[in-house]
Amino acid sequence: MRRLPIVVVLVLVYLFPLLYLVNTALKTPEQYFRDPIGLVDEFSLRNFADAWEQGGFSAYVANSVVYTFVCATLGTLLSVFIAFPIARGYIAGARWWMTVFVLSLFLPNALTAQFQLILNLGLYDTRLGYMLLMIGNVGVGPLLIVSYLRGIPRELDEAAGADGCGYFRYVVRFVIPLARPVLATVFILQAIGIWNDIIIATIYLADPDQQPISRGLFAFYGQYSDQGTLLAAATLIVALPLILVYAALQRVFVAGAISGAFKS
Amino acid sequence: MRSPFGSRAGSASLPWLGFAPGIVLFGLFALLPALAVVGYSFTDISAVPNLPWRWIGLENYRRFFLSGEAATNRSVIVRTIVFCFSVTVIQNAIALAVAIVLNRRMVGGTFVRAVVFMPVVLGVTVIGLTWSLFFNPTGGPGASLWGLFGMDSAFFGDSRLAFPLIIFVQIWSSLGYSMIIFLAGLQAIPPDYYEQAAIDGANAWQRFRHVTNPMIAPAMTANVLIAIIGSLQTYQLVYVLTGDRPTTSVLALKVFTYAFGHADQGYASAISMVQFVIVAVIALTALAILRRRETQL
Repeated sequence: MRRLPIVVVLVLVYLFPLLYLVNTALKTPEQYFRDPIGLVDEFSLRNFADAWEQGGFSAYVANSVVYTFVCATLGTLLSVFIAFPIARGYIAGARWWMTVFVLSLFLPNALTAQFQLILNLGLYDTRLGYMLLMIGNVGVGPLLIVSYLRGIPRELDEAAGADGCGYFRYVVRFVIPLARPVLATVFILQAIGIWNDIIIATIYLADPDQQPISRGLFAFYGQYSDQGTLLAAATLIVALPLILVYAALQRVFVAGAISGAFKS
Repeated sequence: MRSPFGSRAGSASLPWLGFAPGIVLFGLFALLPALAVVGYSFTDISAVPNLPWRWIGLENYRRFFLSGEAATNRSVIVRTIVFCFSVTVIQNAIALAVAIVLNRRMVGGTFVRAVVFMPVVLGVTVIGLTWSLFFNPTGGPGASLWGLFGMDSAFFGDSRLAFPLIIFVQIWSSLGYSMIIFLAGLQAIPPDYYEQAAIDGANAWQRFRHVTNPMIAPAMTANVLIAIIGSLQTYQLVYVLTGDRPTTSVLALKVFTYAFGHADQGYASAISMVQFVIVAVIALTALAILRRRETQL
């Protein structure tokens, strides 16, 4: 059993910081002050309530939920409509479009030109501008969907076409249900990126009422940097939804990571 | 190829109609800005709306490489490359070792895998705050750990230790990703190969060298390239952990700082281009080496 020590160290290095966070978040500020790393003695959820209240997290959470669902849903949907005609060659230059999507992963950091564009469109500090940026950032999505759709036989298209099924009805009623596994992957990859975004939100959303949760957490950190118990609680408020969704959908996350790696 | 849907005139354009919204958004907000950065790098455009701007030729590049800022910029480039190499080498070495350990059936193996992969989901702000609290100089567990060896430190506030700690946190965050890719590669190796090697009397090291190593070459190529490109482009973690400081800044963070801290977007675009060239040179060199290695194995 030479493997056991390695595994134990690994689990400690990964779980200890999170357990420390939970332990700190459950302490009273007085106890944290007396003994910052000792185990919690009087278990209290006060810090969560205080952090939620003082950090204004309900507004941030609401923003993030909207941004994540709307942008990841639209981004995935648009990616299907990009990927299907490319996979089938129903549009001219399908091969060329594939190259464009691959190359786009390696292009220069576009922060400055993106900012000028948003400024000139009058979309600075608007939810719409932020969401358009998030939707347009499809990344590897179309590439993953193209390679998945190539495994669905073309005869199905022809049979449906012969029965008089229209193009959009076919994509919505047949392609999307058949491609569900890859669409779940694409949705989740995009959703994680949006939920965790801090840079784009920092640049484009000056108004705190429009900011998402990561930005809110970072602002909270700036304001309460000396209050360990509140910070730990606030960090867990942001992390908990991710951890729960991850625990429930672990397979999809891992599949997403693997397919993303071999496509890019 | 003509789509088989509908025979009416105009039905051939339906695939284009579906394609257009996505491609317009992608083109406008992702592709075109990435290309336009080249143009902006020859201007003195600022982040302030409606301020006049001029073409200034190679002035931004001259400023970056030849002005009084050049020495600082060189040190930022060196640090970016040190970051890239340390992260790529250490992360992949540990990830491969962990993948080999976890590849065999064991109680709780799935749990360990899930725990190591979790930071990939968590995002830089949560990860940054977690480690800031851990390495809180007054009373965090990091301070106690250092105390065991009779040392103390300001951690992220210490000009020598901050950067190595950022490298550590970066590896901690993305190790799970490399591990999963190595595991996928390891699981594709047919068990008979190992049985045959064992029959031939190969010891553990020889089995690794002659069976595992060549069989996971594609996973190694993918992992090394992703780590190189990712680590040369990332700056979010540095931003959250320490901000742009002379002892921790990397090239990509300089782009952000100049573009939005100093509103100097022409210069920031030029730094973007320098970064792009460095990424391209290192990634293409690595790709050539890795491909040659794959065919030799």
